Amino acid sequence: MQEQTLQVAIDSIRVRFGSQALTRAAELPAPQPWLSGTPVDHLTGIGGLPRGRVALFTGSGTSGKLTLALALLASATRAFAHAVVIDGGGFDPWTLTSFSPEPGALTVVRAPAPEIAGEAAATLARAGAGFLLLMSEIPEHWLGALESGANRSGTVIVGVVDTPSRALAHASSFSLGFSRSEWIWDRGQLIGLRALARCLKNRVAPPVGETELEICYRLGAQSVKEAPIQAAEMETCASAAV
Amino acid sequence: MRVCCGLISHLELARRPDLYGTPVIVGRWDEHVVAASDDAQAFGVLAGMALRQAEHLCPQATFVLPDEEAVVRIRELVSAALYDLAPIVEVRDEGIAWLDLSGVMNPGQSIRAARHRLLKAIGREPRLGLAPGPFSARLAAARARPGRLLRVPDAREFLAPLPSRELPLDAEQRERLDLLGLRTLGAVAAIGPRELESQLGRDGRHAVLLARGLEPDQLEPWRPPLFTSAHRQFGEPVEDREALLFVARALCGDLADELGLRGAGAKHVRVRLVFESTETEKRESIVRHPLSSTAELFGLVRSWINEWKPRAPIVELWIELPVLEAAGRRQLRLWAGGDGSSEEVIAALERIQERFGDVVWHPRPA
Repeated sequence: MQEQTLQVAIDSIRVRFGSQALTRAAELPAPQPWLSGTPVDHLTGIGGLPRGRVALFTGSGTSGKLTLALALLASATRAFAHAVVIDGGGFDPWTLTSFSPEPGALTVVRAPAPEIAGEAAATLARAGAGFLLLMSEIPEHWLGALESGANRSGTVIVGVVDTPSRALAHASSFSLGFSRSEWIWDRGQLIGLRALARCLKNRVAPPVGETELEICYRLGAQSVKEAPIQAAEMETCASAAV
Repeated sequence: MRVCCGLISHLELARRPDLYGTPVIVGRWDEHVVAASDDAQAFGVLAGMALRQAEHLCPQATFVLPDEEAVVRIRELVSAALYDLAPIVEVRDEGIAWLDLSGVMNPGQSIRAARHRLLKAIGREPRLGLAPGPFSARLAAARARPGRLLRVPDAREFLAPLPSRELPLDAEQRERLDLLGLRTLGAVAAIGPRELESQLGRDGRHAVLLARGLEPDQLEPWRPPLFTSAHRQFGEPVEDREALLFVARALCGDLADELGLRGAGAKHVRVRLVFESTETEKRESIVRHPLSSTAELFGLVRSWINEWKPRAPIVELWIELPVLEAAGRRQLRLWAGGDGSSEEVIAALERIQERFGDVVWHPRPA
C-alpha cells in the first residue's frame, strides 16, 4: 500500500515536472570512466576515474597520494588537450618529469587564495578542461558550480588534500584515503613506499574496499611503477568492503 | 526569399491602447495627419491630409500629439521581441513588421510566435501575410483577418487584380497611372519597365518590378543597440550583502538571456550602486573575452560586491554592459553537454589571468 502511494507520488511529480525531475538512482546513467593507466582505475569499480565527478585523494603527508596524483596528471597531459593544476602552493612541475608528461598540455594556475582556486576550477570545469588537479581547498560556495560544470563537460577532477573540508568531502563522488605502511629501501637508498589506499566513499560503484600500493620514486624519464595489486588481495578487499 | 509581414496599428496609435476602438487622429495643429485609427479612417481621414481637414471630417475623434521618442521605444520593443524569430527583422513606424523567414527551419512556429509577441507588445491581433517578398507580404497581410495568416504562393498572380494605388507612388504619379489606364497591378506588370520609366522616372521602373512580384526591395535588418543594462530598485534600502548578491545574480541572469538572444557578449561591465542620497558608487572593467553567460557575468559582479564596502544603504542596483560585441566566434553553448573545446579552455584561462593577474603559467619541464 505504502509502495503504491509512493509510486503515485512519483508519477504525479513526473507528470507535473517532467520525466527527468525525479529519477531512481538505479536508473541514473553510470559515469563514464577515464582510463588513466594507474592502479586507481581498479579501485573505482568502473574501470577508470569517473568523468564529470570530483575524486579526492586524502591522507597525511608522505602517504603517496601526491605521487599517484602526479602520475595521473602526466597521464592526463598525454590523453587530454588541457590538463590544469590548481595550485594552492607547493606544486613543483619538475617532479613531473619522471612521469614523461606532455608539456604542451599542462597549465598551472597559481591560486594564493581559496577563492581564486574555486573560481578558476569552476571556470575551467565549465569550459571543458580535460583534467583538473586540485591542490588547494575549494570554498564551499564554488563547489556547486564546480560539480555542475564538470558534470556538463565531463572534466575529470582530482583533489589532493590532507584533510578535506566537510563540504568538499560531500561534493566528491570518489574518495581514497592513503596511509603509509612502510618505506621501501634498496641498498641503503629510499626508493619508495608502501601505502594503504582505502576507498572512503564511492558514489559511482560499490566500494572496492582497500588495497596496498607500492609507489616507487624513479629518477629520469620513467613512468611511475604501477602498484602490483594482487588479485587475491583485491578479492579479499572487495569482499571485506561490500 | 520568404517574407512574413505582420500588420499592426501605427506605432503612434499603439502608444494609446486605451483608445483602441475609438477614432483617434495623431498630428500637430497646422500640420498633416501622422496616423489615423481604423475608426477615424472610416470617416475618410487619411494619413498625410491636413489636420484641419481631418477635424472637419471627424470632429468626434481624439486628437493626440505625436511623440517620436515613444514611437522609437515601441519600435525597439517590437523589434527586440521578434529578433530571435528570423535572421532579418524590420519594423516600421507605420505598423509593419517584416520577418525574412528564408532558411528558418520551422517557419510556421516563427509565424505563430510572431503573432503572439505582436499581440503582447501592441495589444491587438496582427494581420499576417506570407509571400515571396515584403511588398506582396504587406498587401497579403492587409487582406487577412486579424490574427489570421494569408499565404501567397505566386506573387504575380496575387498582385494582378489589386489596384495600382497600392504602389509606393506619390499622388501625382498615381494620377498619371490613372490617366494611362493602368488601374490594376496586373496592367502595370504587363507593360515594360522602360515604358513606365519614361513616364514616371525611376519610380516607374520600380513600380513595374513590384507589380510583377519581382520584389526589388530588400529588408533593412534591425540591429540591437550595442548597450544594455538591467537594474532593480529596492522598496527598502538594502544593507545586506547577501540580498545584494541575490539580486545581482538575477540581473546577471536576465542580461545573459538577452545576450544569448542577440548572440552578443559584454566587453565592458559596470556596476552602479545608488544610495538614498542619490549619490552613486560604481565599478567597471573592460574584459578581453566577451562575457555572455550568467556564471561569467555573475563571477565578475560577485567578486566586486564581495569586496565592496558601500558607504550607505543602497536603494538601486544597476548592472550595465556599455560595450557589446558579437559573440559569434564563440559557440553559444548550443549543445547541452561535452561542449568543452580547446578554444573555450584557453579563453577561460585568459579570463582567469585578466581577473587575478599572472596566476596562469605553462611550465616546460626539461
